[in-house]
Amino acid sequence: MSVPVLPSPSNFLAVALVINRSRDGPRFVFHYPPHVKPAHCSEKQSNAEDNFDLDEEEDLFFDRPSRPGIDRTPSLGPNAANYSPLWNSDDHQVTDSGTQVVPWEHVAGFPTKDLESILTPARAYHKKLFHVSLDPLRCVSYPVYAPENGSWKKKKKQQKQKQPDSRKPRTDDDDSVPWTDIDRPAGTGDRRQSDVVDSSAREAAKAAMKTAEETEDKRSSMTMFNLVFILNPQKHEAKDLVDLMFFHIIKKINKAYKYCQQRSDFVWKESKKILALKDKGREDKRKMSSLWEEILSTSSLAASMQDIYDAVSRNRIAALQLETPEGLVTHSVQIPIPFHVPDLPPDGASDQVGLWLTTANSHIADDAVDELDYVDKNFALLLMADEKKIISELQQDADETALRMIEFVRHCKPTLSFYQVGQQSNNILTPAEVRKFAQHFIFWRRAIAIPPLHARDIYIVSPNCDLRKLPQAAAQWARQFPLSPPLPNFLAELSVAPRPYKLHCPSKAHRPVYMTMLAWLMRGGWVTQLCTFAYVVVWPEIVYEVEYALEAEEIAKAKKAQARGGDASSAESGRGSISSPTDMAALGDAAIAGFGSGFLPLLDDSHSDLASSAATLRDLSLSHSPTLARARQQTPSQAAESPTSPEPKFSPLSPAPFLSPTSATSGSNRPETLHRTVTGSTSSQSSSKPTPAEQAAEKARLERLAAKAARELMERATAHARKAVPEQTSHPSINPARHLAGMSPHIILDAKKATGTESLYLSAIGRRLRDNGKKRLPSGGGVNHNNNPAGQKHLGSTNLRTVPHGISGMSGHGGIMHAGIKDGSDWDERVANTWPQFWKYFNGRSALERIALQEDMKRKDAWNLLTAMSEYLLCVRHW
Amino acid sequence: MIQGIFYARFFPQEGTKIVAQSPPGCIVPEPGVNKPCLFDFSVLQEYIIPRKAFCNRYITVNDPEGKYSVLGFPVSIPSPRYDRNEFIFNFGLVVECEAVADQIPYERVVRRLAVTFAEMEKQNFYLSQDPARYHLGGSTGSLDHHSYHQQMQQHILQQQQQIASSSGSIGGAASTSFAQRRPIESLLEIIKEDLNNYGECMIPVDDANTINMKLFPHHPTPPEVKGWHVPVAKMKFADIVDPTWDLTLQRVIAHIDGVSDVRRIAFNADVSLELTQLALRHLLYYDTILLLDMFFFGACYAPRPAMADFVANMGGMVDECANYVCIIGSHTGSSNNPTSASRSHHDTLGSSGGGASKNLSPTTASRVGSAADLAALSAGLSSSNNKNQHRISNYMLIKLMTTFCVGKTVMEWLKGHLDGGFEVLRFVDVRRLVQFGLIKGLLYRVHKHVISKQYLAALATGQTRPIAGGDPLQKYTDGLHTFDEIITEQNLTDSEIMEKLKGFPAPAGDLTVLYR
Repeated sequence: MSVPVLPSPSNFLAVALVINRSRDGPRFVFHYPPHVKPAHCSEKQSNAEDNFDLDEEEDLFFDRPSRPGIDRTPSLGPNAANYSPLWNSDDHQVTDSGTQVVPWEHVAGFPTKDLESILTPARAYHKKLFHVSLDPLRCVSYPVYAPENGSWKKKKKQQKQKQPDSRKPRTDDDDSVPWTDIDRPAGTGDRRQSDVVDSSAREAAKAAMKTAEETEDKRSSMTMFNLVFILNPQKHEAKDLVDLMFFHIIKKINKAYKYCQQRSDFVWKESKKILALKDKGREDKRKMSSLWEEILSTSSLAASMQDIYDAVSRNRIAALQLETPEGLVTHSVQIPIPFHVPDLPPDGASDQVGLWLTTANSHIADDAVDELDYVDKNFALLLMADEKKIISELQQDADETALRMIEFVRHCKPTLSFYQVGQQSNNILTPAEVRKFAQHFIFWRRAIAIPPLHARDIYIVSPNCDLRKLPQAAAQWARQFPLSPPLPNFLAELSVAPRPYKLHCPSKAHRPVYMTMLAWLMRGGWVTQLCTFAYVVVWPEIVYEVEYALEAEEIAKAKKAQARGGDASSAESGRGSISSPTDMAALGDAAIAGFGSGFLPLLDDSHSDLASSAATLRDLSLSHSPTLARARQQTPSQAAESPTSPEPKFSPLSPAPFLSPTSATSGSNRPETLHRTVTGSTSSQSSSKPTPAEQAAEKARLERLAAKAARELMERATAHARKAVPEQTSHPSINPARHLAGMSPHIILDAKKATGTESLYLSAIGRRLRDNGKKRLPSGGGVNHNNNPAGQKHLGSTNLRTVPHGISGMSGHGGIMHAGIKDGSDWDERVANTWPQFWKYFNGRSALERIALQEDMKRKDAWNLLTAMSEYLLCVRHW
Repeated sequence: MIQGIFYARFFPQEGTKIVAQSPPGCIVPEPGVNKPCLFDFSVLQEYIIPRKAFCNRYITVNDPEGKYSVLGFPVSIPSPRYDRNEFIFNFGLVVECEAVADQIPYERVVRRLAVTFAEMEKQNFYLSQDPARYHLGGSTGSLDHHSYHQQMQQHILQQQQQIASSSGSIGGAASTSFAQRRPIESLLEIIKEDLNNYGECMIPVDDANTINMKLFPHHPTPPEVKGWHVPVAKMKFADIVDPTWDLTLQRVIAHIDGVSDVRRIAFNADVSLELTQLALRHLLYYDTILLLDMFFFGACYAPRPAMADFVANMGGMVDECANYVCIIGSHTGSSNNPTSASRSHHDTLGSSGGGASKNLSPTTASRVGSAADLAALSAGLSSSNNKNQHRISNYMLIKLMTTFCVGKTVMEWLKGHLDGGFEVLRFVDVRRLVQFGLIKGLLYRVHKHVISKQYLAALATGQTRPIAGGDPLQKYTDGLHTFDEIITEQNLTDSEIMEKLKGFPAPAGDLTVLYR
């Protein structure tokens, strides 16, 4: 999630309320802040920033009041003569012509009289985005109209039925955001609900009295209201800012106002109050500042606008408090901002600096949203404020939910995953509750979710930390941790070389303080966890082994198929796998034995049953050439062992010169030649009946094809046999065998999704892990031989640097002693058994540090297992 | 894409009317056109011809459906010649709402139309004396419309021919001066078509006036260029530069070699640092250069999450890397041959004064060793890879790239691989490898900062001014400044800085060095 363009005082200028009345027309009710600088000033400013935006020509043409030709004075009325300084003054002034200039009647350089007309769009915009730009200014709003019948209030009966409805649109819209209704920090949602119930009862009583009033209202009162947000974004950020503000703020606030208006005519009554004050102020020539003060203090509508502006422009949570006659209505809105970034922001994107740098969360966003289990086990809650402060905030409203939340806050530690919190609270809190509260706290920016902190993990100074805040942070740190090293020193220490956090801690007694310090650093985005991400490396030795085995298997399979064909299982299989050395050998034998004349009748005889003929043929040849038959029988076994091909074996023995090329040049045989040879030899019989001849030809062709394929297989088998037999060494990564020299290791990107050959590699590695002990024990003999994983790690990392010190560093503490106790083969067995279990983490995206949490294992154990596998892992370390 | 273009005018009696539109019927219904309008004109008309206060400025509004935006520039020309002493008109565009970013280029179009026609109106009443006093959707008969359309079609044909030949006067058999000019509607159509199809248009409106417009993309303001940045060209400037370019820019471009820092470029090009930065920022705006940092063997680089793409060889990234970094056998025609690369390499080290330059000498010495020797060695070592003699395997590149780590300098990294039996320097141009990693976002530079606690405390209490006459290095000790900055600005090497810091007037233990 990238950081959105956020509102700030420079691009969010003001918020203004405009209403329209059926009889008196539109009215500009109120705006905040009181003084909004005219667009021209801000435009110039933005042009200065945008100094590559060279399109000044037209501006020069129109926007300079002094420009002759187009004179804008008349359009601005008498005020224009005394240009902008008047608008920003606090006092009323009187121009030479005697017109009173009221300070609040100009907003952003425009007379409110004009603004009020342009900001009251037609009914077509009811509950839709209304977005009008006036030069650089952008007015964005969500106009709300009275229902067609002219009355905001719903009939009493309707109201009762519709009560859920009137709330519903809000909750519907809020769906994207979990539990907006459990307002900050808690309980206000429930309160609102009770308000509603109360109000409806009261209203029922008043209903009769109000009827007369209502008809009057219908005629004169407000037909629409429109809370307009005046923005001044940079050109390229306009779209994002408008969308963001509209979706998260503008829509929601206007809906809250609409709710109050429907319930108690709130907006209209407050507007009347404000307008009356303004009219009076105009008469009395009151100073704008004092008038605004009075308005803000008497009208909760005006005050809410102030809250909105102040909070939203500084990107805080805006909490509305609307004092309607039926009680206080509260609602909170905010623009959700990410609390982390997955990668370093590009140079110049200063708004992302200081955010916590991690890929832990972006991983969930991809595919594990519904894997609640994953979130539960992998994340802890880090409160962004002091625990006591949050608890006291919660204690203010002492309802059931708040109490549960207090319980939750007490149990939550940044070192405990949600899962563990659930367990440690003796199941007072259900997992669903923990999840719900956590999400609630995170949404309302009281906490963030982090992978649980652990002293064995490595934390480094975040390259994204905001050093501009260092002076203040250092002072704050000194107050909070007076006995610890100063912040700059501590950060420097963390930054020099990555080490497990506990090594920075002088003694075990200091551990709790140091963990609090770590939480503090985490909160400020000063540090980030350095995680290890792994891929499976398949060393050439393994690749070769698997390939070799595959080939052998394939040849064996082919041979089997062929054997089946030769044994006359069916004509089909015979044709399919005629390519069998036995058949070929049989043919050759027949020829050699000088059976040229008797050959065809035999075939002719048995053309209905190819298989039987083949069988006969073989029998025949067998009987006539025992030597050759023996040779043939030997072939398969010999082929596997001897490097010589069967070809030279047969050719010197072959007396029939015309047949030898056919057997020798299996690849280049042309059907024509085949045909010719066959017909030539059988001319005497084929004259009367062409069919048998053709059949014979076909037969012969098939035989030759068979011969060809058989030869190919033979060649393959031989080639295979010539290859060096794979030899298993205890460290495939450093196998210097010559046949492996040209191969490069293979990287499996995601072991979980591996298929085909890759899965074979994985299982081959698994076998290796299992066999390691067995192989080495007899050869090495010594008890303290390479059996322990630490030793293996040592080899791996120094000789080949298989493992950057991520794993080795971690295992350095637990690994050696642990493995010393273990019996070698048992341990290997365990490693091999966990290998498939750990595959799913070897995808370059899952941090190895979190396996222990995920698998519910002891950290030491998990690390030792990983260390044992480390030879087959390629590790990268980042956040 | 421009969905519609219109000319609206305010009539004292009839109010706001659309006088011309293209395509026909896009704003208000037109006889003979069945297509529905893009939006309800009556709802938006008060934004097309707004109150006087909002005239003469660029105004946009979205339609209620949120589908289209209307971009306009209502112009009000006050003059006693007109009824009600005022002539108000607006040339507007209708574009889709979705792509607000794409609306930015159209702002200039709208402004240009307003300026041009306002000027023409002031000069010879081009708009107010338009003989075709039509306004669409009015009471004019359909017959008239038909003939008008025919006339218009002819005009368009004529104009297109004229545009094709790009010369010739606007002709026609008409006798009066008004009749021979083209109707505004056809002008609008040409503007719309040309801008949509070619992104620019050049349309002679009458003998004296031509409308030239082009859509320019809008880019955000680029970040500042600092003295210690190293610009890397994304294109071959030598091929596109021509003598009409800004002279400073030309001089600066000549020195962009992917190795020199901005300060050095300024020095070599004999241009002031500020102008160099400005020129480079200009190039940055057009996304033609990248800014990296200075390469030192004593610097530290660490992986970023994008490393996963490299391991997966996404888009052939590893092969690209191999072509870029392998010392011999890169026949991609890249500008540096290996020797010049290593020489320039040397230059950086020697001149900019990396902290490790001292340590480095043995390595570089072996590196400069005779080329034949090197070739023989590498040939021997990678003989099995007979396809490409000197290209190291993808696995090895991945291995090299992934073994960068926080807290490990390039020197240490090299040494680590040497211990592992792989002499990186024989096969790989390390500077290029690091540069590749930086460009692709696989690596980041771990910067070195020096922090004075005393100075921080002073800053926290608001005494932000450094003591006058104090140590020249003091202003760098607030943690915001990297060593690169000190190196370029103070013209010191890393080790010289460290030496100077020892003499820093502060209590012992005040200074700390932070790597970030």
